[in-house]
Amino acid sequence: MNDMRLTERAVQEEKKIAARGVQVFYGETHAIKDVDVDILDKTVTAFIGPSGCGKSTFLRCLNRMNDTIDVARIEGDIRIDGEDIYDPKVDPVQLRAKVGMVFQKPNPFPKSIYDNVAYGPRIHGLSRNKAELDEIVEKSLRRAAIWNEVKDRLDAPGTGLSGGQQQRLCIARAVATSPEVLLMDEPCSALDPIATAQVEELIDELRQRYSVVIVTHSMQQAARVSQRTAFFHLGNLVEYGETGTIFTNPEDPRTESYITGRIG
Amino acid sequence: MVIDSAHIASAFDRDLEAIQALIMKMGGMVEEQIVDAARSLAERDEELAETVRKRDKQIDLLEEQINEEAARLIALRAPTAGDLRVVLTVMKMSANLERIGDYAKNMAKRTSILVQLQPVGNSAGSIKRMAKDVEMMLRDALDAYLRLDVEMSEAIRLRDQEVDQMYNALFREFLTHMMEDPRNITACMHLHFIAKNIERMGDHVTSIAEQVIYMVSGEIPDDDRPKLDRTSVK
Repeated sequence: MNDMRLTERAVQEEKKIAARGVQVFYGETHAIKDVDVDILDKTVTAFIGPSGCGKSTFLRCLNRMNDTIDVARIEGDIRIDGEDIYDPKVDPVQLRAKVGMVFQKPNPFPKSIYDNVAYGPRIHGLSRNKAELDEIVEKSLRRAAIWNEVKDRLDAPGTGLSGGQQQRLCIARAVATSPEVLLMDEPCSALDPIATAQVEELIDELRQRYSVVIVTHSMQQAARVSQRTAFFHLGNLVEYGETGTIFTNPEDPRTESYITGRIG
Repeated sequence: MVIDSAHIASAFDRDLEAIQALIMKMGGMVEEQIVDAARSLAERDEELAETVRKRDKQIDLLEEQINEEAARLIALRAPTAGDLRVVLTVMKMSANLERIGDYAKNMAKRTSILVQLQPVGNSAGSIKRMAKDVEMMLRDALDAYLRLDVEMSEAIRLRDQEVDQMYNALFREFLTHMMEDPRNITACMHLHFIAKNIERMGDHVTSIAEQVIYMVSGEIPDDDRPKLDRTSVK
């Protein structure tokens, strides 16, 4: 009946990440239970769910951040553009340049604004000379919508910026290595509403180039920024679908209970 | 689906319950208006007709109050999923009920004129039965709303066809009376508008039943109900 909804946010149905039968164990704890999901390219996908549901754990599987935890064990198959990211031949450091990450608390390096952004391209050897590096830094800061605020003080320490600016600096740092996927773990939880709105606007712009996956505790944020929403509960992926549908007519009673504020 | 269990924020439940209590109160008042308007006509009771006209104001005020509460609830609680559909349904239902109230008021207004005129046939009895049917449909629709009953709502949609048939029968009857004796024309015109008002009430009740289906299932029924008799639109 409705071929085209006004409020539906169009996406390309092109797969970026394909996860099949993903299981995560932290020692005895079974944190992720047999998750299958296809994450689309040039789309913002929100992971929602109560604390401890596994959404951050699953996010961290996507760039092998769980490798750094000794007791963590991951099973199943995760492919980005068809390539198995857990293949022994894959270098996790290279992978993380391709799959960037932004964390809950802004964590700029105790270096200048310029060096914060230049760090990744330097260690990955993405520039041949200073001019090229300058260009990458400027482009990244522009993409993170912070260039105009910092262009006159690139030598100032990144830690001297406001919380919202620091978070956008961290996003600039993440995009400097030309990633294809951006993972964001509650990127706005330490920010005020205005800074949050700026970061959300930025996320919408980033979607033009990247596949963005965001973990958020704010359901309203998930509703505002994402085109696809995945609801996790007790380590299961309960429901995954178009964000508008999830928030108006979810299929699973657990999803409905969670988004309407009934059970945790 | 609409979930019965409580929210973590109990004030949210209180807000939702309060607004639903208002819609039930409004529904009850509108039912009474339909019955009284039809009775005032059948019994040529001018005083009752006047009461019906005056009471419509209270229904209008209730509609305003419901819309204000719904706007506050949307702004303050940002309802989603089933909760959102409850609020949307309540807003539409209040608009439907307000319109039904207006039709009842208009019936009463015409009754005040009709009591001054010579009665025509026994059409007042037919109109009273038709009004009774619509009032029962409304009662059932409100019941279906409270019970979250999709099947019951589907049945109400079908019952509206009977009301349409009664309207078409009355339409033919008035036509006959007017052709028989032109002095009947004034009364028949008013009676015809009354019958039409009741027929429109039935459409609004149908819309309420459809809203209940949407509220419970998330989907609006879109299959057109067949029109059986097209006498009045030829």
